[in-house]
Amino acid sequence: MKRNVAIISVGYNGRFVSKRPDINIPELIQPAVDTAIGKTKLKHDQIEAYVVGNMHTFEGINQPHLWASDHFGGSKKPVMRVATGGSTGASVYQAAYYHVASGMYDVVMAIGWEKHDEGDAQVGLMGILLPEAFSLFNFGPDMSEDRGVAGLGGGGSTGGAAFQAMSYLTKAHAGIEHIDRVAAMMRSNAAKNPYAHLQQPGCTEADIAKTPIISYPLRYGHTCPTSCGAIAMILVSEEKAKKFGITDRVAWVKGLGSGASDATTGNIIEGQITDPAEQYMCKVVAKKVYSMAGIKDPRKDIQVAEVYSGFSHQDLMWPERLGLVDEGKSPEMLDKGAFAIDGELPLNPSGGVTSTNAIGASAMVRVGEAALQVMGLAEGGHQVQRKIENVVAHGWGGLFQFVTVTVLGRTPVKK
Amino acid sequence: MAQETRIIENTWDLTAYQWKIESDALDLFVKGLKDKKILGRKCPQCGTVYVPGPTYCRKCFRDIDQVVEVSQEGTLDAFTVNLADVKGTIVEHPYITCTVKLDGTHSFLMGVLEGWTDWRSIKEGMRVKAVWKDVTQGALADLSHFQLTEK
Repeated sequence: MKRNVAIISVGYNGRFVSKRPDINIPELIQPAVDTAIGKTKLKHDQIEAYVVGNMHTFEGINQPHLWASDHFGGSKKPVMRVATGGSTGASVYQAAYYHVASGMYDVVMAIGWEKHDEGDAQVGLMGILLPEAFSLFNFGPDMSEDRGVAGLGGGGSTGGAAFQAMSYLTKAHAGIEHIDRVAAMMRSNAAKNPYAHLQQPGCTEADIAKTPIISYPLRYGHTCPTSCGAIAMILVSEEKAKKFGITDRVAWVKGLGSGASDATTGNIIEGQITDPAEQYMCKVVAKKVYSMAGIKDPRKDIQVAEVYSGFSHQDLMWPERLGLVDEGKSPEMLDKGAFAIDGELPLNPSGGVTSTNAIGASAMVRVGEAALQVMGLAEGGHQVQRKIENVVAHGWGGLFQFVTVTVLGRTPVKK
Repeated sequence: MAQETRIIENTWDLTAYQWKIESDALDLFVKGLKDKKILGRKCPQCGTVYVPGPTYCRKCFRDIDQVVEVSQEGTLDAFTVNLADVKGTIVEHPYITCTVKLDGTHSFLMGVLEGWTDWRSIKEGMRVKAVWKDVTQGALADLSHFQLTEK
């Protein structure tokens, strides 16, 4: 890309919570937009274009930008909506980046949100599953209740993730106790983040181990909540950042990329070829992103990671696939405390997705949190204290086959 | 604001879902099941064997028409244990769904796992074989389950 792009501001609407029956979607988005703008000297009319997105169908409203655009200031301006499922937030941010890096615009706002209490996430998921399931009925599947097709689901998205968790645990020679341990760490990290949803100060492995199994090896305590919340970020060109006099507390986008493999986990229809825990594309994309960012050794040059883990075993899996930890070594890193906020490689200081999941926001929250870490502005005690040069943010979506990776840093890449 | 549940009655025309995904792959697959055979397709370019066999190769992005019969034995890849039924009642004999890689294939096939006594001792990589219903009729249900062949 020709031009460097900086994230100059990150705003949340407030703390992420289960239910906000008192407000509607535009009212959820607006405070995040105002907060992001309020942290700068910019005015609303200086935002040249907007990229927005949430998870389609989960709120029961399919074109929310049509009636929300007035409320975030998008009226009579270019507005693009992006919806790529779980990775929506990261796709929105990447589209906003391209808006600026391409030279088309200098100041662009990216907004991601989800208001889970207005819809039903499982109904949304059923809308994705039903056509395939009905198609499968043409081929005479076993229809006996829990032993048949219904049983194959094995507990909604947790059932699908359980195959990945099992495959990961076997390859890493780890046990369910490692998932308990990392889940507890995320919930106690969340207690240091004033915006996180499930805050459990001092949460222990034993607290998580008490929660019931949903689909072995995944427990209730290993799964993400459904949250309501919004995030807004402002992206500007290097030239404009200099003009505005804001080059100090900003996060430079040094590298980014995305990729797809085949849809994994029990896709009987299409002849699935990928082990859901292999995540080959994550390795490929990460390598490309590091090279774009001028990072030779990610283990040395990256100080913090924000990974998208809807289920706690993924907090162990992604650092390995992102090349930050040797394959199968995450459980060891966890046991020696390396992933703690004051550890060798702080992992999700924010508490991650298993503590807060407003789906359309989540992948952008990873980038936003990475930006706050680089700026040194993470609030409430989850700021990593050691010197940070680069942070990696990651997102995934679909049936485990889509991946997005970004590296943010303190200094821009020389063009 | 008081919590309120509203029930709206309606009908849903399911005949809209008469279409099939990758019909050739599953048509071939269930045709084989009738004769207690597991059929897939092999890409002549990269040699990848898919079961069920799609009509094009995912890796080479080219049409494939070479039908192959594959082994009925393979290795257990991953599994999950359903300790409760769909209504949430705890069951005595948990229901285990698994993905299996049949020998000589490169894709995963999903099914039910039987032949174990303690599910805690099940490990990835264990050997399994396909077990058929007594009477097959050319349906996905003909392949009853995968049986562990080692303890």
